[in-house]
Amino acid sequence: MSEVNQNAPKKGTILRWLDDRYPLISTWNEHIAEYYAPKNLNFWYFFGALALLVLVNQFVTGIWLTMSYKPSAAEAFNSIEYIMRDVDWGWLLRYMHSTGASAFFIVVYLHMFRGLLYGSYKEPRELVWLIGMMIFLVLMAEAFMGYLLPWGQMSYWGAQVIISLFSAIPVVGPDLALWIRGDYVISDVTLNRFFAMHVIALPLVLLILVFMHIVALHKVGSNNPDGIDIKKNKNAQGLPVDGVPFHPYYTVKDSMGAVAFMFFFAAVIFYLPEGGGFFLESPNFEPANPLKTPEHIAPVWYFTPFYAILRAVPDKLFGVMAMGGAIAVLFALPWLDRCKVRSIRYRGLSYKLLLAMLTVSFVALGYLGTQPATPELTKLARIFTVMYFAFFFVLPFTSAHEKTKPLPKRVH
Amino acid sequence: MKKVTLFISFLLMTLFGSAYASGSHLHLEHAHNDLRDKASLQRGAVLFSEYCLSCHSVKYMRFNRIARDIGWSDEEIIKKMAFGQYKIVDNVIQRIPADVEHEVFGTVAPDLSLMSRQKGTDYIYTFLLSFHEKNGKWDNVLLHGTAMPNVLEGLERHEDKEKVEQVARDIANFLEYVGEPVKTVRWDLGWKVLLYLAFFFILTYLLKKEYWRDVKK
Repeated sequence: MSEVNQNAPKKGTILRWLDDRYPLISTWNEHIAEYYAPKNLNFWYFFGALALLVLVNQFVTGIWLTMSYKPSAAEAFNSIEYIMRDVDWGWLLRYMHSTGASAFFIVVYLHMFRGLLYGSYKEPRELVWLIGMMIFLVLMAEAFMGYLLPWGQMSYWGAQVIISLFSAIPVVGPDLALWIRGDYVISDVTLNRFFAMHVIALPLVLLILVFMHIVALHKVGSNNPDGIDIKKNKNAQGLPVDGVPFHPYYTVKDSMGAVAFMFFFAAVIFYLPEGGGFFLESPNFEPANPLKTPEHIAPVWYFTPFYAILRAVPDKLFGVMAMGGAIAVLFALPWLDRCKVRSIRYRGLSYKLLLAMLTVSFVALGYLGTQPATPELTKLARIFTVMYFAFFFVLPFTSAHEKTKPLPKRVH
Repeated sequence: MKKVTLFISFLLMTLFGSAYASGSHLHLEHAHNDLRDKASLQRGAVLFSEYCLSCHSVKYMRFNRIARDIGWSDEEIIKKMAFGQYKIVDNVIQRIPADVEHEVFGTVAPDLSLMSRQKGTDYIYTFLLSFHEKNGKWDNVLLHGTAMPNVLEGLERHEDKEKVEQVARDIANFLEYVGEPVKTVRWDLGWKVLLYLAFFFILTYLLKKEYWRDVKK
């Protein structure tokens, strides 16, 4: 830092001592105090900050749960009940963590939907989207492995079903499944390695990816509901006229959003911790029993859209490919959407219809994934699976010649 | 904003709409039990000890914890529920040892600590009242081929229906408490937390409004 900074702390202060040795003030300014965000960010823009809040919640409650949890097939279930009954405030930590897992997916799905609404994945934010998708992928692995830890019936059989999917892969499949489990069935060995992944490896990856997600975002700047570039309109000082410094404007606004979120979060924790059987499934209050299959195995709600796609395809291998494809195709979105206009506000009817179709099919598949696969429901799941994929296959054609509305010069 | 709220309520409805729809299709009677009713919980504890504890454990509970939660002293619970057979810090383990149980009934009765969370309180209530004779053996509508005899048989013979239902309700109530001992604790704490957050939201809302006043639309 050779240039003279007018805001540099006074000589002889601790802050000055620190700032001479660490880029304290410049980092703060670049990412918080002088990071300009569009002033028109609406309701949909709360969910990124909320995802960060939930991440912190999961880290803190997770660390404390680890202090009493025992990752062994013989003790895991007992130790959870020990936390629920005998550890001071253990029940609160456990419910915050289990509700947090579902809350994480709720805010992340809404965060991703925001991206679809306002074209946040488009140039120059492709990398922000890709890193975000990687976060989503790691989050799914993190949630899946975390769900085994209570060692209940649904933990056990859910993991059994999902890992056996890997054995559908030709040639290496069965060995791969064996390698993941470390055993021929889900066992103590599996539980131990899932614990290691859940509390160390994946959170570390998650943290790094979240950091990169924010760094990439701050390089290109936030998109906004109008999808126009605020950096094109600058005042005499070179500051965007439609931007406001992140701090204090968005720190106070996001605080408000965080408190509103916490209200609903607390309502679930204190009055609906099972989430109506979706956040904590009732068969999971029975200890894992490798000899007794539950009558209906369903993954937790946040996986059900993809699970429904898996079941909709009659062939196991193609089902697995369709399920993987349903996630993989999201990575390609920045290149599948060829429309130059970002925001849905100024896009043509075709995109609005396509997005509505994607949303309806995703929610419908989510519902169908919780239900037993009867012939009628499977037929429905097939229709919605086709609709889901249709979004990604039709979009490149319609978006290239989309009839868009003229963009405004300034944000609204 | 309206559209957003509509969308979210739709999402929540699909999420919570039919939670247990995929479960069994058997008709369950409502237990109408009340976790706040300490007298019912105390009766339930005694009844559980008389009718269930021979074979079924609630191993995640200790006698002193139960005593504290349902309003008994340590001496009282040893006298009324443990019949002097257990120590106050003991876990609530069935009286007949598991191996003997296995020899006599061909199976070990499941631990009931979490039965109310697996099947629901209504299930327990209905189950207790759904025994009938079949080929000279006891059977249950909710669980065909169960090894469990009708423990309320004697009661059913000598008491009116209302009394028997009250017994089943008290046992179900006790097992709901056992399923999650902190349930009433979280009910009592929850509204205070929500009230605080509602108040805190007003503060943050006003703060946000104050800061954003100078941002031109």
